[in-house]
Amino acid sequence: MNNSMRTFYGWFTFLGLVIGGLVILGYYRDEYREWKQYQHRFIQEEIRRATTPQQKALAETTRVEVRQILLPELNRVDRCTTCHLAVEDPSYGGYPQPLAYHPLHEQHPFEKFGCTICHRGQGSAATGADAHGSVPHWDQPMLPMKYIQASCGQCHEAADNPAAPELARGQQVFETSGCRGCHKLGGVGGNIGSELDKVGARRSPEWLKQHFLTPSAVTPNSAMPPQKFSDADLDAIVLFMLSQTGESAPGYYASMKVIPSASQGQRLFLQKGCIGCHSIAGQGGKVGPALDDVGLRRAPEWMMQHFRDPQSVTPGTVMPKFGFTETEARALTEFLLHLRERNVVSSLPSLMNPVERGHEVYRKYGCAGCHGLDAKGGVPNPNAKTAEQVPGLIYVADGYTKSELNTRILKGQREIPALDPKRAPPPLYMPAWGAVIKDAELDDLVAYLVSLKPKGEDVGF
Amino acid sequence: MTSSFLLHIQPAKVHKHSLKAGYSLGLGLISLYLFFILIGTGVLLMFYYVPSTDRAYNEMKDLQFVVSAGLLIRNMHRWAAHLMVLFVMLHLCRVFYTGAYKHPREFNWVMGVGLFLLTLGLSFTGYLLPWDQLAFWAITVGTNIAGYAPIIGPKVKYLLLGGNVVGQEALTRFYALHVIVLPTLALIMVAVHLWRVRKDGGLSRPDESGDVIEQIPLGQLPTNKSYGLMELARGTTPQVGKNPEDEVFSWPHLVFREILLFLLVAAVVLFLAIFWNAPLEEYANPIYPPNPAKAPWYFLGLQELVSYSAFWGGVVIPGLLVTALVLLPYLDRARAGVGRWFARERVVANSIFTICLLAAIVFTIIGTYFRGPSWSWVEPWQQPPAITEGR
Repeated sequence: MNNSMRTFYGWFTFLGLVIGGLVILGYYRDEYREWKQYQHRFIQEEIRRATTPQQKALAETTRVEVRQILLPELNRVDRCTTCHLAVEDPSYGGYPQPLAYHPLHEQHPFEKFGCTICHRGQGSAATGADAHGSVPHWDQPMLPMKYIQASCGQCHEAADNPAAPELARGQQVFETSGCRGCHKLGGVGGNIGSELDKVGARRSPEWLKQHFLTPSAVTPNSAMPPQKFSDADLDAIVLFMLSQTGESAPGYYASMKVIPSASQGQRLFLQKGCIGCHSIAGQGGKVGPALDDVGLRRAPEWMMQHFRDPQSVTPGTVMPKFGFTETEARALTEFLLHLRERNVVSSLPSLMNPVERGHEVYRKYGCAGCHGLDAKGGVPNPNAKTAEQVPGLIYVADGYTKSELNTRILKGQREIPALDPKRAPPPLYMPAWGAVIKDAELDDLVAYLVSLKPKGEDVGF
Repeated sequence: MTSSFLLHIQPAKVHKHSLKAGYSLGLGLISLYLFFILIGTGVLLMFYYVPSTDRAYNEMKDLQFVVSAGLLIRNMHRWAAHLMVLFVMLHLCRVFYTGAYKHPREFNWVMGVGLFLLTLGLSFTGYLLPWDQLAFWAITVGTNIAGYAPIIGPKVKYLLLGGNVVGQEALTRFYALHVIVLPTLALIMVAVHLWRVRKDGGLSRPDESGDVIEQIPLGQLPTNKSYGLMELARGTTPQVGKNPEDEVFSWPHLVFREILLFLLVAAVVLFLAIFWNAPLEEYANPIYPPNPAKAPWYFLGLQELVSYSAFWGGVVIPGLLVTALVLLPYLDRARAGVGRWFARERVVANSIFTICLLAAIVFTIIGTYFRGPSWSWVEPWQQPPAITEGR
């Protein structure tokens, strides 16, 4: 063997060893997976708890493998149960994570819903950090438990869900704080701010919180006035925003969306025109019986049957068969049972006077966001001639005729006179509501605005 | 196997000069090995990959989280791909600086330029397949550059994407190009490229004039061949073996070196793949472009030029450069300085090439490191400006 050959073989050996080492290292790194230690811990625990030889044998033969819930309709796979192995075993209640038991949701079985549809995070991941989602390039970190009810709102109407009071509260804060004056949600609202239909999928709780307290900190030059929410209201509205993900539930899930609640029943009651024949608190038709005390007179089963087929429980009745679905029938039943606890009359638009309806319109379109609750003004609008505030509307009846008010609402006012022309123009302006508001709503709104002027007062503007 | 296969795709004896590592630097061979590694890992990736906008990204996640060695294979594929682009470029530079594109190797240089473009095409089409933000926006930017060409530009872009924007059709087309069309073309052209190396007398070297290059006139059958595949033969006959005193046997001198080089390349790729993960960003979202959206690194010089002028930077300059590369051996016909690095006789050509090369490197570095949101100038050592619309 000559010299050059020896050099060759030396290099072969060296590079062979290097590659061998790298392959072993690569294999080790691939073979070591975080979840395996949790599975081993779980198996040890199962063996420790086994009371019969059969149980012990079963525990010992548990395979160490990735476990997953396939959710093709939701286009996801949740591998959370690879580490959270005892979510369905109540005897693991109170265990430290990842082996803790998850209280069962009867309506949301794990095998149908998985985990991330409510908790968010990265279902396909199989390491703690990646799965919990606070990693670069994953924009759905796990939802803090404080805001978990936001997930209910992804599918269910906030007000329908007795299990999600925080969500309902958030929606109420949203609707009464005038957010819609600037922001559109579900197609209704102004256009000064951005649309909120998918805001919950884009923004983190921290971002939203900051946005409410000091908007300019997260969105420079934001026209939005800082909001003065109580801590509880702030959490509630952040939660409500997080629920607005804009995701539509497919197939099976869509069919599960409607909760047959009293508020859903109330909406149905109004939509289907029940009030045409039946009356509540003396308001409504006289063809059918009054419904005020129907909850005392009739059993729920009777009502259900009555909605399915009126003739079957009241032969000869003139009430038609409406063909309600089971869910609708249950919602209506629920509504009638809880009639006395609900302020139904005030919510029947046909029974309200124009000023009351106008107040509803004022709330619905978020006028309060700029003009203040009850139109008293006071929302800052830097550099506006009107004392750097959006004007209140208490005395509009003195300055404008009804048709002038109509025009002002329909056309809006894009240019707000500035106090100091050298400074930036006032950020808030009056949007044109012409394309959004209905004629009847406009009449009611104007009636409401005109009614605001305190009685017997004439300051003579 | 060794004598019947390895010694038939390459000669039994090679010139000593061809074995000098300092001359060729093994760049072509390294490119070839990277191509082999890419085919191997690529086939493995194909076992899992589905070219669907719904599933492709999830498959990447599955490779990372549940498939045995999935992440390692993907990393190897990614890094080998970047390395191959780099080494093909280096190989091109080596051939230029040693004047190796000159007669009789003009045609093989043209093949080489074609292979360089194919390599870019392979890398670029592969870039889209993970269907993440990086992929989506790099391809959007890259195909927009193609769209700047006059008349045919928009058509070419439409043909590539199967539409006006990057979507399912684009993914299907890029996938077909990436796994079938371009690799097949590349394999054929590599075969021709290697065959031409033999045919042209091995690697270029100084003082080839001693070799007798027999020009065979058209239509006359060569007398030293017992047969030909076509009666009309023209060209040169293989030159290997004309100078027996300067030659050594391929086995073991060449083959052993080749195997060692392969081991080295494999080790480097494995090392990179074990310690650095291939990037995977968010699921592709056509509504939220990253700012700035950048093309793959080898097109960033081009993107930087496009930021000055779409037409000049995106069409004229790259078009002229490619044309100049293709025509180069037919324009520069001087025979001096072949087979030596930076030959004094070639100072003009080398200077022009170096200036172009430096310009390309400078523009690429600017595009990569000095361009921030809205393609504004940022210095990489500065804190990036806070991006307010993020989370």
